[in-house]
Amino acid sequence: MSDYKALQEAVLKGDIKTALEQTQKAIDAKDVARDVLDNGLIPAMDEMGDRFAKGVAFVPQMLRAAKTMQECVKLLQPLFAEGDITSKGKVLIGTVKGDLHDIGKNLVAMMLEGAGFTIVDIGVDVSPDKFVEKVKETNPDIVGMSALLSTTMPAMPETIEALKTAGLRDNIKIMIGGAPVTEKYATQIEADSYASDAGSAVAKAKELLGIS
Amino acid sequence: MKEVQTFRPRLKVLGKQQVDAIHASALEILATMGVKMEHPGALAMLKNAGCEVFNEDWVKIPAELVEAAIKTAPKKFTLYDQNGNPAMPLEDGNSFYGTGSDTNFTIDVETGERRPTVIADVANFAKLVDGLDNISFNMSMANAQDVPVKDIYIHAFVAMVKNTNKPMVFIADSGRDIAVIHQIASAIAGGEEKFRAKPFMLNYSEAISPLRFPETIVDKLIFCAQKGIPLCLPSGSNAGGGAPVTLAGAMAMGIAENLAGLVIHQMTNKGAPFLFGPNVSVLDMKSAVVSYGCPEWSLSQAALADMRDELYGIPTWAYAGASDSKVMDAQAGAEAAFSIYSAMLAHANVIHDMGYLEYGSTSCLEMVTMANELVAMSRFFAGGIPVNDGTLALDALKRVSGTPGSMFLMDDHTFEHFMEAQFTPKLLDRSRYDAWEGAGSQDMYKRCNVEAKRILDEHEMEPKSKEVLEQIDNIVSK
Repeated sequence: MSDYKALQEAVLKGDIKTALEQTQKAIDAKDVARDVLDNGLIPAMDEMGDRFAKGVAFVPQMLRAAKTMQECVKLLQPLFAEGDITSKGKVLIGTVKGDLHDIGKNLVAMMLEGAGFTIVDIGVDVSPDKFVEKVKETNPDIVGMSALLSTTMPAMPETIEALKTAGLRDNIKIMIGGAPVTEKYATQIEADSYASDAGSAVAKAKELLGIS
Repeated sequence: MKEVQTFRPRLKVLGKQQVDAIHASALEILATMGVKMEHPGALAMLKNAGCEVFNEDWVKIPAELVEAAIKTAPKKFTLYDQNGNPAMPLEDGNSFYGTGSDTNFTIDVETGERRPTVIADVANFAKLVDGLDNISFNMSMANAQDVPVKDIYIHAFVAMVKNTNKPMVFIADSGRDIAVIHQIASAIAGGEEKFRAKPFMLNYSEAISPLRFPETIVDKLIFCAQKGIPLCLPSGSNAGGGAPVTLAGAMAMGIAENLAGLVIHQMTNKGAPFLFGPNVSVLDMKSAVVSYGCPEWSLSQAALADMRDELYGIPTWAYAGASDSKVMDAQAGAEAAFSIYSAMLAHANVIHDMGYLEYGSTSCLEMVTMANELVAMSRFFAGGIPVNDGTLALDALKRVSGTPGSMFLMDDHTFEHFMEAQFTPKLLDRSRYDAWEGAGSQDMYKRCNVEAKRILDEHEMEPKSKEVLEQIDNIVSK
């Protein structure tokens, strides 16, 4: 097994060119793709997550590291064995009905993706029916709902109700967030989890699915 | 001596070349990238005026239309109080401070705890604003969680007008509730035309950065233009989130969004009053919150005041007196003071968000009370130093120096001038240690708490007439 220090450093720096070179080097050395991912890329992202949580790394650095990792994964893709890549889980995410804001939602989606989740982003102003339809279609593990306005927040319980009526509620975990949302509100509307920001959304998502 | 003009201290942050370059960039954005105009009527209007529509609802706006809108927008207008008296003449770089819009939480004045906001908070903030001399206008400060969401802005508006007669900045959701609010305002003014002649409220709407104009926003914009309700249309062009991370780029984009709104506004009704200015704060790169205590926002709005003076001439929208701190502590004081002084020195016109904590998520009565004092302090500073025979005071010096044992403190000149020559703080404490200790060793937060509670207890606004109150209730219950 190779030493992936140079690769990890490149991911942490967000140096896509060097990271790709290092990944190619590992491929040329006949390293197993799964090893490059598990022992090279993922520990680098974990380290970045740590740095971010400690407040020594900034959001753009985190996002760039995630992008760097994704580019490397693309290069490895043809070399993975069947069933090799196990996504941490699938998250369907959208801003609720009546709300057109998406920066917070996008940030959460990017962070989750960087942490190894598969993201299905269904956009803004998503009606309860649309949530139901998309859940049926994509079969996610987690449904994430976002609202910036307290006036659109009531669309969250409406959506949960619609998912219940459609018989989908028990198959999924529901996570909510956004400026007016609180832990208490999450409990009140019987969501499974609340995250106060994009960083903690990753931790909460892992917690919901019982993974580390 | 002959009369010497008093220089008004002025913060200037942009040179003419910078102003022209930012404006040119805004024009380029509108002419080459365009905006997403989701309002069919406005889109048709722009198309008829020769704009290119593409990708369904995107529209490119040429420079001529923008320059025409800048030309017809009023370079000054006045906000009146609710009794019809001129209160905020927006001209000559006059600065007026007020509170902010919807927060989800407030610091309870009795318990000191952060809790969700209710409609009684809207009333309390309005009453406090009514009783504070240096707060010129009122905003809701609370997104009440105990009223039906559908009519939340109507309830907030009614709570405000029942507790203050000062000018107001209000929010509405769509064309529906803004029409009801306009009816209430007309009832207060004594009719729609009287309101149009002496408007006492300004609508706050936001486009969505980057470059997006939802239908309801444009509905309100057109309604305001038609009814002569002054309006501001700042977008959330925060640097690094809704807009480029560099301030020049964020300003150019935010200005482009404002100009697009202004074009529709002036095409709807030439000469209708419009307050200019994007909200160019920063997205914090650790927490991803939009900062309300950062120097960048103060800097960008000072730059906008330069653009007003060099180019646009249209009064500006600004912010101050807010903080990212979760409690009213030293950070809150430092950030509030910094933004209040710099907005005053930049000669920004309508300055909102006084009393915000927690990056605009929490409102705080004590913070408004402190901000009131900081405005007084900065207004004194911005008054400059009048120079004349009276203030040079050679006569007083002659008297004191010629009288052994005399001192200025006992001279008539001091007695006659000390009130205007000095700034006298009310809450910023200068008492001697023992006196401070004797009064309970109160810090600034505690003193503001006592003062806010005193005003809520004792202040009585001039009540509205029974007829007006009845009309309001009738309109609301319809």
